Amino acid sequence: MSAGEHFREFAELVALGLLSLSFLLTLFRFVVGPTLPDRVLALDLLVTVGIGYLAVIGVRTGFTLYLDIAIALGLVGFLATVAFARFIMSRGPAGEESIEKDQQPEAEKT
Amino acid sequence: MMAEIQNYISGILIIVGAGFALVATLGVIRLPDIYSRMHAASKAGTVGSGAMLIALAVFAEEPATTLRALAAVAFVMLTAPVSAHLLAKAAYAAGYRLWDKSVVDEMPSAKKENRS
Amino acid sequence: MSLFLINLLLAIAWAAVSASFTLANLVFGFVLSAVALYLIREQVGYVGYLTRSWRVISLAVLFVYELILSAWRVTTLVLSPRMKVEPGIFAYPMKVDRDGEITLLANLITLTPGTLSVDVSDDRRTLYVHAIDCSDIDKTRADIAEGFERKILEAFR
Repeated sequence: MSAGEHFREFAELVALGLLSLSFLLTLFRFVVGPTLPDRVLALDLLVTVGIGYLAVIGVRTGFTLYLDIAIALGLVGFLATVAFARFIMSRGPAGEESIEKDQQPEAEKT
Repeated sequence: MMAEIQNYISGILIIVGAGFALVATLGVIRLPDIYSRMHAASKAGTVGSGAMLIALAVFAEEPATTLRALAAVAFVMLTAPVSAHLLAKAAYAAGYRLWDKSVVDEMPSAKKENRS
Repeated sequence: MSLFLINLLLAIAWAAVSASFTLANLVFGFVLSAVALYLIREQVGYVGYLTRSWRVISLAVLFVYELILSAWRVTTLVLSPRMKVEPGIFAYPMKVDRDGEITLLANLITLTPGTLSVDVSDDRRTLYVHAIDCSDIDKTRADIAEGFERKILEAFR
């Protein structure tokens, strides 16, 4: 095994550690909220980190099939974010704290 | 020799990408409101996963895989701003306010009536 | 645009004639057909095709450069122990008015340092941009106008 392969293996381990940490921290934001868009954003970031994770796994195992999974995950994540954004837009605010009180009647009529 | 360079480049790209992904997450944790958090998630997150996909492209042996990895990078770069933009628009239209300490807000709230 | 299609068709024809559909050969065929089109530029009428494609390429390069720069800015911002943020939304009057160009400008703004496009006004003249550092709005506006908008106008007009 050459020096370059050793370095790459080391880099993969470091990256997997960093990405796992990112997963946990994103999960923290997902649980804490405090609003629905924050949670949707956390979900979006989770998908982005997941794509990176799949790329690293693909390099580590040598199965480039993981790339197709990453592309599919990206597509699903994008569509999920778009769908959630449409949902937020049509639902309006629902009694969450960071919303001005006088805005609520206006939002309810749609 | 070529394989060695490939190993080094993809290793460095993997670490850089993972670092940017972690930065995006930290930004989402630390920044004060949804709009500022979106900055961190859309930029650092895109560069992070993009760098890791490029690492896969460098590492792959067949050109078909390299091409597919680059297509995936382009896809991520094109969709990330669109979803961030749409989420920001939706959050603003739904009435989620900016952070209290924001300095300016030139966007008219009356735009809400025009949403579809 | 039709010239681009002809260019692409010539590249595929080159690959078919030389009987190898590898990526390198397709790119080579594309360059070759671009040169061939350049030779008959007077006849096909588009003298500016090459300069225009050069501008599109330079726009793409600028885009990648700004993306990396903005990720770096976010990094320094997030990792500094005392974050100094002054977020806000400002209005940006656009000079571009076609749908495709507005989309491109909004996407580019989203991926540039410290700015995120939020909405387009209904008359499609104003873009609402969220910036993470609103201490100098006029400078940010000037940056966008001088950088991306000018490049987009150069590339697509």
